[in-house]
Amino acid sequence: MKNFGKRFGVMSSLGVTMGHFFNTYIVDLVKGKKRYRTTEGIEARRQSDTEGIFTIQYPEEQLPLPEEFRVLPFLVYDEGENGEKNLRCTACGICSKVCPPQCIWIYRATDPATGKPSPHPAEFHIDIDICMNCGFCAEYCPFDAIKMDHDFELSGYTRGESHVFGLDTLMKPVSYYESIRPANAAREAAARAEKAKPKA
Amino acid sequence: MSPEGLSKPEYQVPQEMQNQVALTTLDRLYNWSRKNSVWPMMFGLACCAIEMIAAAASRYDLARFGMEVMRPSPRQSDVMLVSGTVTKKMIPQIVRLYNQMPEPKYVIAMGACASSGGPFKEGYNVVAGVDKFIPVDVYIPGCPPTPQALLHGLMTLQKKIESQSLKEVSWYQKGPGEPIPVPVLGPDLIDMRKAALIREKSQPVTEPEEAAVAVEEAAQNGELPAKEG
Repeated sequence: MKNFGKRFGVMSSLGVTMGHFFNTYIVDLVKGKKRYRTTEGIEARRQSDTEGIFTIQYPEEQLPLPEEFRVLPFLVYDEGENGEKNLRCTACGICSKVCPPQCIWIYRATDPATGKPSPHPAEFHIDIDICMNCGFCAEYCPFDAIKMDHDFELSGYTRGESHVFGLDTLMKPVSYYESIRPANAAREAAARAEKAKPKA
Repeated sequence: MSPEGLSKPEYQVPQEMQNQVALTTLDRLYNWSRKNSVWPMMFGLACCAIEMIAAAASRYDLARFGMEVMRPSPRQSDVMLVSGTVTKKMIPQIVRLYNQMPEPKYVIAMGACASSGGPFKEGYNVVAGVDKFIPVDVYIPGCPPTPQALLHGLMTLQKKIESQSLKEVSWYQKGPGEPIPVPVLGPDLIDMRKAALIREKSQPVTEPEEAAVAVEEAAQNGELPAKEG
């Protein structure tokens, strides 16, 4: 039996695999159903010393996204007192200039009374199939108007029709921004308050 | 087997038989079995392929969707995951592989490069969107899409497969289907056989001694840094 390991090396290795297989059932029996589809369960299964099945069963459960996770840019608007949507964007065009793959198109609005350009976007398009999720637009925006979203469920059947986002899909309230990026939103709000304070 | 996925709500089953009988259509049964065994072709082009590998590994586990069998041959695969930048040199091979796949076949353009060219959309050597050459079923935005976004794209494809009808699908129509024309990579302007001839013609006609003298003179005039020592 001294050469057992040499002769039956494959068998002993398969034994390890078999052990893992049975271990998944043992762990599930011991830990119970709370291992799946709960926040604590996902957190426990993410750890490096986890045992048993650690697959994140995506449509039913999701890995928690870190705050700095970024997919697409969106436009932040402040909600006015009467429910109006005050876009922070001034159509300055810095985001479209810094965009490396050039996927942002902006049309500046004109004031209907005077005919002069007004600081609002009339149209704002982002081709989400070109966007490379770099976050330069959010980085460079001087008005905190464009921010990176967390929503990654964007796949679709067509490219031109459904994958060029306009203002209606891009506009999201500031409360949504605060919900996905609380630390960033608090820091930016503090910086704005500091700037707005009259100099002593 | 999910009952809401298979049974057809239009057909009324009598109350006493509801636990024994399930009614469905051939379309639903066929599509249900088809969508749960979509085998991808095993090839990756760029960084998106790394995310595809991550999606196939045990953390996200494509096997839950019946898609874990990556086939190295186009003859055995159902879906082509164009995962990454498609160069002009690669597109003839991709179209050829697409033509070699058996019907029904699907194409997923994964990531910005495959969908539209992405950051290289105006590049000299990159195809700006694989949909100009082969029919794409699902576009997944992202650079690269995370494994979860890829899974969402595959689920979108499953929804498309579910919605197809046996009567209308192209691969059950009469006669053979037309293959997609394979693009031809144009002749390269560089011809290395002529390079020696060109180099011979362009060499300056200066003798070695003359050249050395010219360098010395230049050094004395202060045009070139003089040698030390």
